[in-house]
Amino acid sequence: MQLYGGFEERLEIVASRFTEAFEKAAEELRAVTGEKTYEHLETRIKSEESMEKKCLADGLELTPHNALKVIHDSIGVRVVCLFVDDIFKNAELIRNMGCVKVIREKDYIREAKPNGYRSYHMIVEVPDENADVDGNHPGKYFIEVQLRTIAMDTWAALEHELRYKKNIKNTEMIASELKRCADELASCDVSMQTIKDLIKAM
Amino acid sequence: MKILAAEDEEDLREVIKDVLEAGGYSVRTADNGDELLKAVTEESFDVIISDIMMPVKDGITAVKELRASGNDTPVLFLTAKTEVDDRIEGLDAGADDYLTKPFALGELLARVRAMTRRSREHAPRQLTLDNVTLDTEKEELSCHNSISLAAKESRLMELFMSNPEKEFSTSELYEKYWKNDENADEEAVWVYVSFLRNKLRSIGAKLTIEGEKGGGYRLTGGKG
Repeated sequence: MQLYGGFEERLEIVASRFTEAFEKAAEELRAVTGEKTYEHLETRIKSEESMEKKCLADGLELTPHNALKVIHDSIGVRVVCLFVDDIFKNAELIRNMGCVKVIREKDYIREAKPNGYRSYHMIVEVPDENADVDGNHPGKYFIEVQLRTIAMDTWAALEHELRYKKNIKNTEMIASELKRCADELASCDVSMQTIKDLIKAM
Repeated sequence: MKILAAEDEEDLREVIKDVLEAGGYSVRTADNGDELLKAVTEESFDVIISDIMMPVKDGITAVKELRASGNDTPVLFLTAKTEVDDRIEGLDAGADDYLTKPFALGELLARVRAMTRRSREHAPRQLTLDNVTLDTEKEELSCHNSISLAAKESRLMELFMSNPEKEFSTSELYEKYWKNDENADEEAVWVYVSFLRNKLRSIGAKLTIEGEKGGGYRLTGGKG
């Protein structure tokens, strides 16, 4: 089963090229401001198995076109930051990167999901010198970028455990406690950003 | 609502019970201070009405013991007209109000209503202004999404939301919330206003707190 139709290697190349370009842009900004805008980066190519599940869940036929063009997160990049404002600085950095076309942005920080999930999502399109699955030349690939604070990242990791663990008792209670944690972490994130700004203004 | 009435004169006790029951309250009676204390260990009441002069244990001693045990149920004392010192002592012992005998039954009911109203005002509640809701029990501010508040942030926000567009000076707010905090200075007010401002913004609220550091602060509905 070759859901990516032999394009995995291109996905790897496109992903690492994007990551390197982002790191370079962030480094240039750091040279000016003296502050690193992110704590760490994670890059992953969605496994064919997960992609298959997603296609089926979305009612899509298992074709390379659907996996690479209709679904937008075959490449995922996560930017984990220390402070909330850094998320928006990095988003601006990505918007201004050459060769990157922003397709969609969704602010789940200002408008958190009902379960408490917070992150800033961007879908971007980047070029590749080889032809893509649709025969475009240069090729085009989508990347889903998730920008979040360390607190949001920790929360998402825990929520992921809840979601994929079967037979949890008191799911409702756990979900509501998890929501409360999300709101408390958001509160801390905002308080720490405020203190940072106050210190800066002193 | 449940009321405990302690009175040693049987006739008066029965009249009080009847009039309160007619007013829609459920009533338990006691005929001395010991009985009063026994009753509060067995159930909780919204208001306690107590005579001062009673055999076995007087009302003042009973209320002192009640307060010492941490019970803060509102207490209304019934006193004789001549007992000025008793009234002072009674209020100092922890009573919330008093009524001199003989009294009109209508006034008794009105005082009970006033007391339950006061205690309700202190109860946790939800305040909504514009698109923002503050839940003072959960200490949570919500709009498009929700965010937790620190205890002091919640109280400060409650004050602002109860008084929209009203300006509070830094020293006024400091006196209200930080007076007993030895390590705080007026800068704390600015820090907490800054916390609230950013938390309002983070949930997409239209409300905002206006004002400069050290000056007056005002909650306003935001522009447009």
